[in-house]
Amino acid sequence: MDTNNIWERLTKVFRETFDDDQLIVGPETTADDIEDWDSLMHIQLLVAIEQAFGIHFNTGEVVSLANVGEMAALIENKSS
Amino acid sequence: MESNEGFSSGSRLGGSDGKGADVMSERPNIEVVKALFKAGHYSEAHHTVLEQARYVRDYPAFASLCRWRQRLAGKAPGLASTKTVKVALLGGAGTEMLQAPLELALEAVGFGCEMYRSAYNTFASEMLDASSATVAFRPEVAVVVTTPANLPRWPEPGDSRDDVQQVVEEVCEYWLALCAQLHQHTQCEIILNNFHPLPTRPLGNLGTKLPWEANNFLRRLNLTLGDRAPAYVHINDVEGLAAHYGVTQWFDPRYWFHARQPVSFQCLVPYVVNTARIVGALFGSTAKCLVLDLDNTLWGGVVGDDGLEGIAIGEGDAVGEAFKVFQEYVLRLKQRGVLLAVCSKNEEANALAPFLKHPEMILKREDFVSFKANWKPKPDNLREIASELNIGINALVFVDDNPAEREHVRQRLPEVKVVELSNDPADYPRLLDEAGWFESTALSAEDHQRTQQYKENTQREKLRESATDYASYLASLAQKAVIRPFEDLHLDRITQLINKSNQFNLTTLRLSRSQCEDLMHDSEVLTAYVRATDRFGDNGLISVFFARHERDELHIEEWLMSCRVLKRGVENLLCNYVVEKARARGVTSLYGVYRPTPKNGLVREHYKALGFKWVGTDQDGATRWCLDVESYKPFDVSIELVEDY
Repeated sequence: MDTNNIWERLTKVFRETFDDDQLIVGPETTADDIEDWDSLMHIQLLVAIEQAFGIHFNTGEVVSLANVGEMAALIENKSS
Repeated sequence: MESNEGFSSGSRLGGSDGKGADVMSERPNIEVVKALFKAGHYSEAHHTVLEQARYVRDYPAFASLCRWRQRLAGKAPGLASTKTVKVALLGGAGTEMLQAPLELALEAVGFGCEMYRSAYNTFASEMLDASSATVAFRPEVAVVVTTPANLPRWPEPGDSRDDVQQVVEEVCEYWLALCAQLHQHTQCEIILNNFHPLPTRPLGNLGTKLPWEANNFLRRLNLTLGDRAPAYVHINDVEGLAAHYGVTQWFDPRYWFHARQPVSFQCLVPYVVNTARIVGALFGSTAKCLVLDLDNTLWGGVVGDDGLEGIAIGEGDAVGEAFKVFQEYVLRLKQRGVLLAVCSKNEEANALAPFLKHPEMILKREDFVSFKANWKPKPDNLREIASELNIGINALVFVDDNPAEREHVRQRLPEVKVVELSNDPADYPRLLDEAGWFESTALSAEDHQRTQQYKENTQREKLRESATDYASYLASLAQKAVIRPFEDLHLDRITQLINKSNQFNLTTLRLSRSQCEDLMHDSEVLTAYVRATDRFGDNGLISVFFARHERDELHIEEWLMSCRVLKRGVENLLCNYVVEKARARGVTSLYGVYRPTPKNGLVREHYKALGFKWVGTDQDGATRWCLDVESYKPFDVSIELVEDY
């Protein structure tokens, strides 16, 4: 899966999870940039990403994902 | 949607629009909700959220529905839910992620809810301490969420079977003592889960022979928990659910380590839905009648086109076997008290033929209390079925392989519970089972005889048509009845009637079994139930009454009756009985109140018909009535009052 494809699908997951059609996420986006992104939403987001990409985050990764860039890199790594 | 063009009689096996097999992973149509929201149609948006919550089981999708529900809160007035339930969510595990989904699942089965959630792992003190926040909240239902990690004791390696059973008894006692305390403080019903097996087996297959092995012990514990649980404790069968989905799917160690999640996100929705079903059953949302399509629902193929020999049912053919297994499942529902009806677009003779002539059919014509095979729109037939059986539209569960028919029914009769089927009959038993509409908290003797009782009613109808006048018809029925105060033996049935009767119900007061038990022991309360029989068969326990004695007055708080004995004189007989008991207590005035609901218009004039005088109308529309006990003349009733029959 190429990087563009990942960003496209990741944006879709973010938009669905936060119910915001206009939401734009980039490598630097963090939880501080999205109002509703609290610890509860973080888990919902991870579950949605796992499902959308058919991947599995390991226990350490579940909390350590500091920004969306790291998420995308991890997804690329896991789905290659 | 009035025209039935476009709805073919039997949909093609294999489905046509792809909306079936992958329904479990389907993202709900949030766009519809969004559009309705933007247009300001909040009630419709809310309704769409609840409709989807009835079958969406995918966590991200369900979570999205939860957020829309919250966004709509306060904007939409909510469905005409029968009741708002006070639920305490007590955790031996993390419960934060369960709250919103459980609230939505409850609303999807028709209940508003006010929820109190205790802090993590405080369940024991919350239940024991009479001054805890949970007790102060006065819940009607407490949901106790625990996992094997909360067990206070485990067997020691090498323990004998007797030693292990000793531990099992101790653990059960610990658990049920907590429940007993909370119940004593609050009278609430308690939903207690049993325990899922552990995902690892250090002893491998040998564990099956060693009673002290962890999973071996858990199995024994679960069995004993079910055996020992009192009536107010309802077991949430997590062991069964974990087996259904697979333990490694059920339990996700990652989120246990992070947040003490008792259940994986993949299985969170089935868990809360299962919990909501139990709450629903406690407060009377159990459906009563299963309405089935025929072609490609009960057998493969279209009998009108393929002929009797051309349909797939029974051994010798894989698809036929799948339909046979589905029929067997339906038969088991019937045996536990679910009424069956047919609603099929067919010529009646074609529709009947398999039931009468096909040797492999499991279901027979006499298993059905109503049989609609015609070309009318299905919503019309469903309405007729409900009216024939004297049950609410919301007591119907509709199963049809044709997605267009399902959608038609959803739109026209949103109260009907429509089961999402896949396009594979091998899935049907599981999908109907997972839908869970027939969850109930107790079975009564009446449940086992229900189909028979409705059939007897049909015979009574025929006799009535032949009788020249109503009085002679009633006389010819040779009715007998028993009226007695509440008794232990009948408490399950009494509770069941109190929680599900809607039409002949003066106050629609809902009570738990333990509240009924308290009434039974309260000397200031006059309680009565009625059992009735006639020449066509036993109607069982069909009426419940209680009234509170205050000085020289008796105030009726509950008066309800099953509609199967309407217009037979039962209420007159009961009135005679009550007045007699009232006189014996020195009562001079008998007071009754009628509280109108959307469903009990039938008894608006109940007290007037019994000779009560109207004494006032409350702001909420409730009417108050009074009967002078001394001048009361007993009604002539053609029912013989007996000690027993």
